Amino acid sequence: MHCIVLVKQVPDVANVPEEAWDREKGTLRRAMLDSVLNPLDLHALTLARRIVGDDPRARVVYLSMGPPQARETLRECLSRVPGQAILLTDRSFAGADTVATAYSLACAIRRIEHELFAGSRDYVILAGMQSVDGDTAQVPPQIAEDLGIDQIAYATDLTPGPPLVVRRIGPAGPEEVTARRHPVLITVTACTEPVYRSFRLAREALEGPISEWSAVSVGARAERIGLRGSRTQVYRLFSPTEERARSCVLVHDAAQLVALIEERYHAAPGPSAELAEAPYVLGDREPSYHGPFWVYAERGPQGVRSVSLELLGAARELAGCLGEQVAALLPCDAPGGDADELIAHGADTVYLVEHPLLRTFLPAPYTLAVAPLIREHRPQAVLFGATPLGRELAPRVAYTCDCGLTADCTRLEIGDYVKGGQTRVGILRQTRPALGGNVMATIMTKDCPTQMATVRPGVLPLPVRDPTHAGEVIHVLPDLSGAEIGVEVRPLTASSVTAPLGDAAVIVAGGRGLHSRTRFEALVSPLAAAFARRLGAHGEVAASRMAVEDGFASRDRQVGQTGQTVRPKLYVALGISGAVQHISGMQHAATIVAINKDPRARIFSYADVGLIGDLETVVPELMRSLGDATHAAH
Amino acid sequence: MRPIDVLVVGAGPAGLAAAIRVRQRLAGAAREPCVVVIDKAARSGAHNLSGALFEAACLDELLPGWSEQRSEFRDHVVPIVQDDLYYLRPTRAVHVPSRLVPRPMRHIGNVAISVSRLVEFLAQRAEGLGVEIHDGFSATSLLVEEGAVRGVRLSELGLAADGTPKDNYQPAEEVRAAVTVLADGSRGVLSTQVAEHFGRGPNPQVYGLGIKAVVQLPRDNPLGPHRAVHTVGYPHPSDVFGGGFVYSLGETSATVGLILGLDWRYGNLDPLVEFEAFRAHPFIRELLAGSVTLAAGAKTIAEGGYYALGPVHVPGALVVGDAAGFVNVEKLKGLHYAVRSGICAGDAIADAFAADDLGGSALARYPALLAERGILGDLHHARNFRQGFRWDLAVGAGLSKVGGRIPVRLGMDEDRRATRPGSRLARDGAHPVDAATFVSLSGTTHREDEPSHVLLVDPSRCAACGADHDHACTHFCPADVYRWSDDRLVVSASNCLHCMTCSVKCPQSNILWHPPEGGEGPRYKLM
Repeated sequence: MHCIVLVKQVPDVANVPEEAWDREKGTLRRAMLDSVLNPLDLHALTLARRIVGDDPRARVVYLSMGPPQARETLRECLSRVPGQAILLTDRSFAGADTVATAYSLACAIRRIEHELFAGSRDYVILAGMQSVDGDTAQVPPQIAEDLGIDQIAYATDLTPGPPLVVRRIGPAGPEEVTARRHPVLITVTACTEPVYRSFRLAREALEGPISEWSAVSVGARAERIGLRGSRTQVYRLFSPTEERARSCVLVHDAAQLVALIEERYHAAPGPSAELAEAPYVLGDREPSYHGPFWVYAERGPQGVRSVSLELLGAARELAGCLGEQVAALLPCDAPGGDADELIAHGADTVYLVEHPLLRTFLPAPYTLAVAPLIREHRPQAVLFGATPLGRELAPRVAYTCDCGLTADCTRLEIGDYVKGGQTRVGILRQTRPALGGNVMATIMTKDCPTQMATVRPGVLPLPVRDPTHAGEVIHVLPDLSGAEIGVEVRPLTASSVTAPLGDAAVIVAGGRGLHSRTRFEALVSPLAAAFARRLGAHGEVAASRMAVEDGFASRDRQVGQTGQTVRPKLYVALGISGAVQHISGMQHAATIVAINKDPRARIFSYADVGLIGDLETVVPELMRSLGDATHAAH
Repeated sequence: MRPIDVLVVGAGPAGLAAAIRVRQRLAGAAREPCVVVIDKAARSGAHNLSGALFEAACLDELLPGWSEQRSEFRDHVVPIVQDDLYYLRPTRAVHVPSRLVPRPMRHIGNVAISVSRLVEFLAQRAEGLGVEIHDGFSATSLLVEEGAVRGVRLSELGLAADGTPKDNYQPAEEVRAAVTVLADGSRGVLSTQVAEHFGRGPNPQVYGLGIKAVVQLPRDNPLGPHRAVHTVGYPHPSDVFGGGFVYSLGETSATVGLILGLDWRYGNLDPLVEFEAFRAHPFIRELLAGSVTLAAGAKTIAEGGYYALGPVHVPGALVVGDAAGFVNVEKLKGLHYAVRSGICAGDAIADAFAADDLGGSALARYPALLAERGILGDLHHARNFRQGFRWDLAVGAGLSKVGGRIPVRLGMDEDRRATRPGSRLARDGAHPVDAATFVSLSGTTHREDEPSHVLLVDPSRCAACGADHDHACTHFCPADVYRWSDDRLVVSASNCLHCMTCSVKCPQSNILWHPPEGGEGPRYKLM
């Protein structure tokens, strides 16, 4: 079985040198970063090696779309796992967003199948889940949509078989997916010990040719590539520090600390609330987009997921600026009471798309259920939750509707765009982090009737439920006869996969200041549990690198530049000095609390709330205040 | 795949000069040599650090016309027009009149450069000449067979912290070549092994530790754009050899550093503390007012000079640059010797290759060229300079005036033996040192579950070091790799800057420095 590995050369956002920061403008000079192979692509090529194994007829083909200097990245791949390298390069590709990139790569893949594999469809396409610069995870599903093949996303392991069985994290938890037809596209998360470069292969890589393919040579049509083929456009880049500045409030006792934390934790989330400009006024101008705002409603085990309700709240506000309506789209196999919930949270219309094939999520039938409706009704915007389901579905829907999609937005607002003689009125401004979170980008959609965006759960506030709000329910019977289902999915029990810190809303981290493993375990874990109980959230224990090296905690708990990066709602740093290497792993937490006995500790410059004191006395006091029965969790 | 004729270990100024020279000499010949350069850094220049004031004439020799063509490197070369020496007292700076400054220490006519930029430039030129450069490969040992160097062994890859192989384990690869050029820098692991196999010079090699930072300055700063400042005196005591420097690197950029001879006697001397004290001196602080630190790092310098030179030609290998010890401490320069010794090696190799005699004795031409072209002569003149300072600044200064005329070799002891039991430096903690930030400004990274590349020969020896030497490593390492905690030495190898101080200075001879996997360590770009 052959493998095509999609690789990308990206800026090394993990190692940003100090001189790359333009202090005056507050931005990052991207040109001053080294170029490296996208880290997740390393895992993709490690898995490719596992698939081709020792079969001399199986080929590995690396495909990258980029400028001529991307040859270096292809050589690097060849110096790890030998194969053939193709650089898809052409000036006309410049400025391509994910839609145009996916189309271009799909054309190249078709040529690879035809020319290099002699028409054989027995191959697998592997790619890292996302690139560190764009970070959207949109290109692979859009390629899959173009090629009409299945995508297995978030793969954590695979056995080549045959049959090829992939372990992955699905919308409902860990799953085992068997690919029943090929080709199939697999996107991988960090899941392997990546294969190293070998000196011998590095020398061979210098000798071997790298094929350069142009747009014409892969049959790519000019109107679908580059700037012309793009459906989104970045129109502003700015520094994340514009989003917020921290000044530490020092408290003097545990009870005060708990009160402040609770207040911040339960307050309306998101900087968008504080930083909103004056409300948008359309007046009697003609807006650039027309039609309602739609929200894709996702079902979870307990009914509609709260992210969909959060999106309804946002849609109401956005639609309100333009005098438009709000609708919700709910694919299901049988309606429940969900339509009422959606209406109570702001939907004027609910489209219930019913079909037995929609019982559990699979991208092919869901795309077929949703896309035709969008094409028919032409809403001016469709919002999806950036959940595992949303991240698989939204790109495919956007691609097939030929519309622009911006993923993981942290802010959505209506505004005007005036630049270089071009004016657009009442567009949806979509803001998201890029370059590994080092920069913020505001993006707009172009050249299509529908603006699409995904937003992560917890970013937008939950709207107030209004049972008196009236709405219409429309039943839709989709035509899913074209849906080819090429995978078999088997849910797994959760035990085998651990991603503890990433999902935790509350993290309590201990540093060197705990002094010993026994103290660490005696103070940090119970405090984490107490906070979690009090705030009604999922809580976890983390540690600084020093604490891990001293043996207080295991490495999978490490937060920092060389550990995990986390964005919980609450991060409590106990006995952590605040070295820059640690800060980079948790600086985007919504609320940062620091407890340290050294008043000069750097952590206090990054914290929202601080308490100077000895952990031996402070932690037990905190436990008492947190356990206070008069303030039980909601 | 072409067999390798010349393997250069270390893509620094010396190694790249040698590689360039070989390809230049034999360009267009019937048979062109296959020249391969390897370096443990992730990219060329990332492990190179120096002050630096450079005698650029050697580049005219290697790459004629280089200054007429535009390059990143040339754009950042700063001619030095003003050169001052100061004697620092705790709060004052006493200017030393230029007529009293010894000639070798005058720098007008030199240029201030960044050696990492120089290396990037040389690497580009080398690749243009057909040199294969492979960054990110660590060589851990020489392959010596039948008394001759046949190549090198690269590091094993993919071991877990406990030494067990992980899924991606890759055994050590061997790289063989007809001739190996060792250009692995000050206290280079392989060039040190040459001494073990083939003998060393009459004096042991001794080292200094240079700690520096590159800073951004506001416009119209007091330093000025073409200036070199050297200092002696404060902050370190007069029995510690060394001094500070500040060099302009342009209108809004400068480099500031402190070099200390590693033969200091104090168990608790912390070079980072001394560096911060130096930066905090009112005179320096004023020169650098409004500065923002962009990068920082540290590296040792071989200071032993002429009498510490070991064999530079052994069967199958040549040693060039800092790895050989071609540093003139009197002039405070080594870079141009690095380039020039690389040219000598390149010439000797090219002649041997043309005569089809790479494996034979034709390479003995190399040491002869070093003598003919004045490198050895320069070092001979400064041969007793450093030794005078093992006692005191005043003694050294005095001896330095006559050192060139003393007919005997002044001896030198190994740096580690200079640390005296119970000797401590009193410091009041007035200059807090943020080691974590210093390390992050070097950009150093290592895979954290890699086995520590810094090995303790016998951990039980560390306990005794407390009373005698105050666990010296916990003080002398500029990267805070060593910590004494809970009665044991905790090693944070991932902080390591590859400066080599620990392998030189551990009073117990208990630390073995060993290259980690390739592609790790600092990421110097402006240094």
